[in-house]
Amino acid sequence: MKKKLLSLVLVSAMATSMVACGSGAATTENGSTGSAPAATEGEAGGHKLTLWAWDESFNIPAMQAAAEDYKEVDPEFELEIITQSQSSDVENAITNAGQSGDFSNLADITLFQDHYFQQFCVNYPDAWVSVDDAGVDWNGLGAEKLSYSTVDGVHYGFPVDAGTAIMAYNTEYLAAAGYTLDDVQNITWDEFIEIGKKVKEATGKYLLCMDGSGNDFFYMMCQAEGVSQWKDGQPYVTENQTLVDIFTVQAKMAQEGVLYLANDWGDYTDQAIVGDMVAGVYNGNWIIPTIKKVESNAGKWEIVPAPTLTGKPGYASNGGSSLYITSNCQNTELAKAFLAYTFGGGSAADGTSLTYDNALLNGGVIGTCAAAAKSDVYQAGVDYFNGQAIYADIVAYTQNVPVIEQNDYHYTLREKLSNHLISVVNGEEDIDAALAAAEQETVFAMQE
Amino acid sequence: METKKKGLTLAGKQLAAGWLFLTPATLLIFVMSFWPMIQAFLTSFKSGKGVNIHWADPLFVNYTRMLQDTMFIQAMKNTFLYLIIQVPIMLILAILLAQLLNNKDLKFKGFFRTCIFLPCATSLVSYSLIFKSMFATQGLFNTILVNLGILKENFNFLGTPWSAKLVIILALIWRWTGYNMVFYLAGLQNIEYSVYEAAKIDGANGWKTFWNITVPLLKPTIVMTFIMSINGTLQLFDESVNLTKGGPAGATMTMSHYIYNQSFGQGVGNFGYTSALCFVVFILVAILAVINLKVGDTRD
Repeated sequence: MKKKLLSLVLVSAMATSMVACGSGAATTENGSTGSAPAATEGEAGGHKLTLWAWDESFNIPAMQAAAEDYKEVDPEFELEIITQSQSSDVENAITNAGQSGDFSNLADITLFQDHYFQQFCVNYPDAWVSVDDAGVDWNGLGAEKLSYSTVDGVHYGFPVDAGTAIMAYNTEYLAAAGYTLDDVQNITWDEFIEIGKKVKEATGKYLLCMDGSGNDFFYMMCQAEGVSQWKDGQPYVTENQTLVDIFTVQAKMAQEGVLYLANDWGDYTDQAIVGDMVAGVYNGNWIIPTIKKVESNAGKWEIVPAPTLTGKPGYASNGGSSLYITSNCQNTELAKAFLAYTFGGGSAADGTSLTYDNALLNGGVIGTCAAAAKSDVYQAGVDYFNGQAIYADIVAYTQNVPVIEQNDYHYTLREKLSNHLISVVNGEEDIDAALAAAEQETVFAMQE
Repeated sequence: METKKKGLTLAGKQLAAGWLFLTPATLLIFVMSFWPMIQAFLTSFKSGKGVNIHWADPLFVNYTRMLQDTMFIQAMKNTFLYLIIQVPIMLILAILLAQLLNNKDLKFKGFFRTCIFLPCATSLVSYSLIFKSMFATQGLFNTILVNLGILKENFNFLGTPWSAKLVIILALIWRWTGYNMVFYLAGLQNIEYSVYEAAKIDGANGWKTFWNITVPLLKPTIVMTFIMSINGTLQLFDESVNLTKGGPAGATMTMSHYIYNQSFGQGVGNFGYTSALCFVVFILVAILAVINLKVGDTRD
């Protein structure tokens, strides 16, 4: 009896799973037939677009703000935002579509990381749509930012966030070591290390942290000096005294217990920053929502420009993203109109833009549109940062970010430098050997 | 004569039926497995990315390139380190546990067997993430060790090369020992108890019984678990990706993880080169399996 019952259960389980498979197939069919009407709808001037984006505390609120804003132009407009767990999900989807030549699974519009766009555009040109004819005043948007989304003079992207770097300090921890915010401005990295040692002694906190496996300091610290890690398309490492000094300073910081090199990104955000292990954070301004997650530190943080090798204020940018129309979009007219009005700065022309204001209020996204930055929202003080008008300050920083040579192999070089810095900190390599190996490995990776 | 003819047609019918039943599976395997393998082999002679892919010049450039690829060589060393340390420890533990749990007089046998097999029921990703949180700098193990006074301050287990490798090996042993134990248990239950009785009468002690009866009779199972473990370890992926992301500085990265990184998630993939890397792993698995079979084969 027991066996019969068991077999009955098994058979019914199998039957259910088969039915489930059957219905699964049915939904895909529905999906494909579903997209066909959408296409015809699109040609007939439909009102719906799909969009891929990641980061629910940062990018998604900005997308929602844009969708809301465009309803002023088209009341029937509908934007379906599909949240991706991380930026590489989008990159993998483009890779899959590009390799198979089947772009039908892509969203109409997608957010894409700035540093990766050029190589994806060159290698999968069929995935993207030019937006030169979208009627955007490109001069009103940040030039440094647009250089990422422009390939051979053709515009493909609409900039979302500026990615301007900030150096944020927890002033309470600084005070515990006897320092004020004035003491950490216009300082050199060597002076920073001395302050860091005192802070570590007084509070047990690191003065700085970074994801050790994807270390953005090389790029940011170089840019703050106005120097690129690239020269004529080749890695510029061992001959580049600025980069050598930056590498040396970082190794020293890590060895002196001033810099915490996290094991990976999750360790960086969840343990180092949210775990309140640090008294300072240096990264693109998109890191602000992560800092704000520690509610008990409200009012204690403030931001200033970063230290440099010479002591002048350091301005850099890191890791923003832009919006791109994919070739799967059946209604490119609507997509272009929507993006031109929102992130293209169309709605900001009259001084206030719902897109930029709400993106900032709800997500902390600071745009690159000069006109939008004049609004009250940008000028307001932020309680978490002790009432400092950080957004206006960041917009001011943005003006000072030097334009430097970029390269498709940005992340390759970052990975090599990160890895060799860890080897140096662990005492497995000396600095000269590490830099030579990083350069040589990058050159190797580029010979494919 | 007639009966013979009838017999032939019966055999013929059976043959036809056999082919009929085999055809769908054969076709599916060919289309789903062998055809992509042939395609991958062809791709391994191409270079360039995306739409710019073309036949490599010289043709074997992807295969010669990997000899200078320090990251791949590092990944290969890591993988073989896991193989050499983890597989023997795991299989010895598995066989000892199987021997213990095969004891006729042991109470709650079912309970213990379930406990040891249970890790295999957890998903690779979730157990990796649990190990990651346990060995995090602010994790369980650090808290315990610091509170017991064994460590002075929190130790970055996953950020130090030797300890990160150790954590991966520990995780693998935890995850796979029970799985192999089940094979040994099944093997042990096929050994007649009378053989052990005879050995007892001859005055053999437990150690001698184990080496002279259990191990030889379990040989086919041992060879099988060895091949499966070697195969599994050479293709190790989830633990490297989820526990350490291959870090610190590539010290725990496995070959499969490196291949994945070259294809996805780090810009536009170089599929020609990664296909070539895949075939190297394939050849390594094949070589090790053949050696294993030869060593394990006692027929002369």
